[in-house]
Amino acid sequence: MKLKKYVSTAGLTALLATSLLAGCSHPGESENSSKTVITLSGWGGNPVEKKLLEGVLDDFEKSHPNIDVKFNQISDQYMDVLKTRLIGGTAADVFYLDAFEAPGLIETGAIEPLDKYVTDDFDVDDFEKPMLDAFKDNGKIYGFPKDYSTLALFYNKKMFREAGIGGPPKTWEELERDAKKLTKGNKVYGLGVMPQIERLYYMAESEGGQVITNDRATFAEDRVSRALQPILDMHLKDKTAAQASEVGSGSGGEMFGQGRAAMVMEGNWNIPFMKDTFPQIEYGTAELPTVNGKKGTMSFTVGYAMNAESKHKKASWELIKYLTGKEGMKTWTSKGFALPTRKSVAEELGYDKDPLRGPLVKGAEYATVWQDGPMLPIVMNNFNNQFLSAYLGERPLKKALKDAQKQANKEIKVAE
Amino acid sequence: MVKGNSSKKSRREAGQGYLFMAPVLIILGIFVIAPILCAIYLSFHKVELLGGTHLEFRGLDNFLKITFDDRAHIALKNTVLYVVIVVPLQTLLALVLAASLNAGMKGQKFFRIVYFLPTLTSSAVLTLIFMWMYNQNGLINHILHMLHLPTYNWIGDPSVALLAIMIMNIWATAPFFMVIYLAALQDIPDSHYEAAELDGATGLQKFWHITVPNLRPVTSFVVIMGLIGTFQLFDQSYIFSGGSGGPNNSTLTVVLLIYQYAFKSLGTMGYATALAFMLAIIILIATLLQRKFSKEESLY
Repeated sequence: MKLKKYVSTAGLTALLATSLLAGCSHPGESENSSKTVITLSGWGGNPVEKKLLEGVLDDFEKSHPNIDVKFNQISDQYMDVLKTRLIGGTAADVFYLDAFEAPGLIETGAIEPLDKYVTDDFDVDDFEKPMLDAFKDNGKIYGFPKDYSTLALFYNKKMFREAGIGGPPKTWEELERDAKKLTKGNKVYGLGVMPQIERLYYMAESEGGQVITNDRATFAEDRVSRALQPILDMHLKDKTAAQASEVGSGSGGEMFGQGRAAMVMEGNWNIPFMKDTFPQIEYGTAELPTVNGKKGTMSFTVGYAMNAESKHKKASWELIKYLTGKEGMKTWTSKGFALPTRKSVAEELGYDKDPLRGPLVKGAEYATVWQDGPMLPIVMNNFNNQFLSAYLGERPLKKALKDAQKQANKEIKVAE
Repeated sequence: MVKGNSSKKSRREAGQGYLFMAPVLIILGIFVIAPILCAIYLSFHKVELLGGTHLEFRGLDNFLKITFDDRAHIALKNTVLYVVIVVPLQTLLALVLAASLNAGMKGQKFFRIVYFLPTLTSSAVLTLIFMWMYNQNGLINHILHMLHLPTYNWIGDPSVALLAIMIMNIWATAPFFMVIYLAALQDIPDSHYEAAELDGATGLQKFWHITVPNLRPVTSFVVIMGLIGTFQLFDQSYIFSGGSGGPNNSTLTVVLLIYQYAFKSLGTMGYATALAFMLAIIILIATLLQRKFSKEESLY
């Protein structure tokens, strides 16, 4: 205990000493005074994605010779690091922002509204509206979505053939029926499920119930539990669905690739994953089955936002404008790691006609964006904790949701 | 005249003394005392640090919130359970290890080094290694399976996750206290043992009636250090649960909860400092209680 303290004090002293020394000399600072240096923070992604981003940034620097962009990668606990840096005044000028976290940050005023920078030639109307709306608050835009993915049904063609099923299910009832034919004991399940609100949000609200109303959790109502009951029934009664950890897989995609699930609901990220890790699997994608005759899916989007305390707002906007502009977005999404949020780019790259990505693109217009105000992170934690226990059959769904709602609202009160 | 001189002299001496202490005083002031005062101040406010600092005086509001925050209760329950199990066990284990290493076996120097190794390892590294061993298909389950004992999902099952951390921590911290005990054991005069032998005491009797009472002051120190250390459990459960305190809040400790409120959720820094303050008071009370109990029985 003591020892640790001494070591950390010594470390701090050393740090102070070096920073003092560093403060004494500024070699060659005046040299590039005409060049504006701005920083961009984001998480890593896989090596190919990183290279792609570096390429886009190079293109930007070439066309904007007076701006120098430094990419700063935050590999772990992105939001914690970002918030701490924002408080300390050392955050990057431009950073990735998940739509899910956006409302909380916007509320604090740490993010610069971008409306005043936008010019006509930027063509805001070209963005898919639900993704753009995720970064809006009180009619102001606080970020531009760089890419997105919806969920689609991935199905194993070989297993479907062997079970004598013609094509992917169109409705939830068909899915339940097909899952029964596809399940083989506890070796292969018909459907791989992630029992988490971020994947099931559209379904939870499919009967008209609301997960959050006026910044309070309101999901412990009949309409929500009735809408989610089929997920539990497939696991507990039919035994035709399971989550990845039950079969020893790390993720839904892995479960699908290892042939332990005939169907999973995953996003665009699963396509490159399958290609790299399980190229031998013959699979197709389809729009998610309709629930009560209505189409629905989730949509996840990440945008570029500007630090309200940035010293180089003009240059930062130039960067955002380029990255989310037609040219930059086209390069960024050209390899298919993410889907473009601009309709014109999507059309140009032809993803709507791509056999695998088509169903994902089609989902964009009716998808529920994973964002529901500043209290969603608290609601998500509590919902998932309790929903899992209901999913495992430890207690009835209604009771689990009630407990989760009570706890979520207590925590919201603490946070207020 | 003489008096004035001496007071001048003593003042100068005091001044010199403070001058010599200045580096420590400054460092303590900046890194220990100022943060404590700042935390006390913040605990009475709603603090929003993002987007320009907003402070809003809330009185005792933050402290009242603790009473209805279920997660705070769970965290406190987990932490107390952890303290109650880990402190006695690690103290006992440390004492037994020290006594066995002091018995004059062959190669005891070698074993002293081996036993001390876990303490030298960084707790983050230790936790990662243990997480592999605790894996569903890991070493510990493998051994349990070989012995025909039931295996557990150590990391994912709420009912055993905290236990897994306890085992790991007892194993890692006991050797540190063992070294303290070892030093104290050397101080017990041989004459006591010789006298006991003349009276025909067995080895166990000697241990129980001479070694243990003579070590009482050290035990008191070990228990207090153990209490403080275990109440502040953070890094192991942070790494174990990826910062969430899961599965189902089973590894949520008070310090982890403080961390979550301070850095994960927005605008709850004031509440986090109130929690930290409560923890300090709890540790203080536990320490005072421990001192009271150990003083009641005097040494001889």
